[in-house]
Amino acid sequence: MSEARKRVAADARGRRAQFDEIEVGRVLGEMEWTVTEAMIDTQCALDADYALWYSVDSPWGGRVAPPQISYRPPRWLLSRAYNVRGLFYRWEMENIRPIRPGVPLRVTATVADKYVRNDREFIVFEASATDPDGALVFRTRRTHVLDFVDRNAERAGEGIDSGIKAERI
Amino acid sequence: MQALLTKDTPVGAVLPEVACQFTLAHFKRSDESTIHTDEEAARKEGLSAPVATGPQVAALIFRQLRASFGAGWIEGGRCELTFRRPVRVDDFCVARGVVTANVDVGGTRRVECDVWIENAAGDKVIVGRASAPVDA
Repeated sequence: MSEARKRVAADARGRRAQFDEIEVGRVLGEMEWTVTEAMIDTQCALDADYALWYSVDSPWGGRVAPPQISYRPPRWLLSRAYNVRGLFYRWEMENIRPIRPGVPLRVTATVADKYVRNDREFIVFEASATDPDGALVFRTRRTHVLDFVDRNAERAGEGIDSGIKAERI
Repeated sequence: MQALLTKDTPVGAVLPEVACQFTLAHFKRSDESTIHTDEEAARKEGLSAPVATGPQVAALIFRQLRASFGAGWIEGGRCELTFRRPVRVDDFCVARGVVTANVDVGGTRRVECDVWIENAAGDKVIVGRASAPVDA
């Protein structure tokens, strides 16, 4: 079996999560997350998404973050529970309120589903964030495929990249 | 920021294109060897070469939606995207979109769109739908 036909079993951050271990309904935990102006700058630069509202001022009073800044915290919660590298497959997002710098958000996530399709294994998780008043700020539902290589391949390889990464924008 | 889409926007209206010629430098982070930046890391995962970071490619659509909906994208915007195939780190990508509905939803005017990203070969690498409120 060639290396390309192996699925990674472990990487520098530990053993990869296996499909059978993923527990649908598991609460992935929660985190407090406060966007800073520096994080907004980084997100704008990563995406070349520059707008007056993100960089200077907005109708909501002060800067707001590009909504896609919400990508990472739910992913961090997934990675704290399961070492899933894989590839991003599906991204549902709802921007309910602006994400503002200096406002602490409470982000929670849960495993919503898992399934096999075309010999690939998928995990689905949902997350939401609320502001200090308990108002919803964003909701999201994500699907990741556990491996690019199909599930018939032996899980034996050693990977370099990991699903577990530094928690930063 | 003036929204391009309004209550009067007809079905079939085309959203502004947002394009990028990606390079490896777009995906480099200072201290990481990832499937997005490192040949060997990608090969270990069965990929033939490093692949673009999905959210950074999808951001072309988000830029398009910000320009199209203005405040409606920030407050009330929805999007669902499917990443159909990996994007090469040196690929050219363009976000495109078209209005599919302009409807009243519980007293709020909402415009719905099909959105997608094509690579240089014309393959739709990301497809999805988006919607947001527009001024009544």
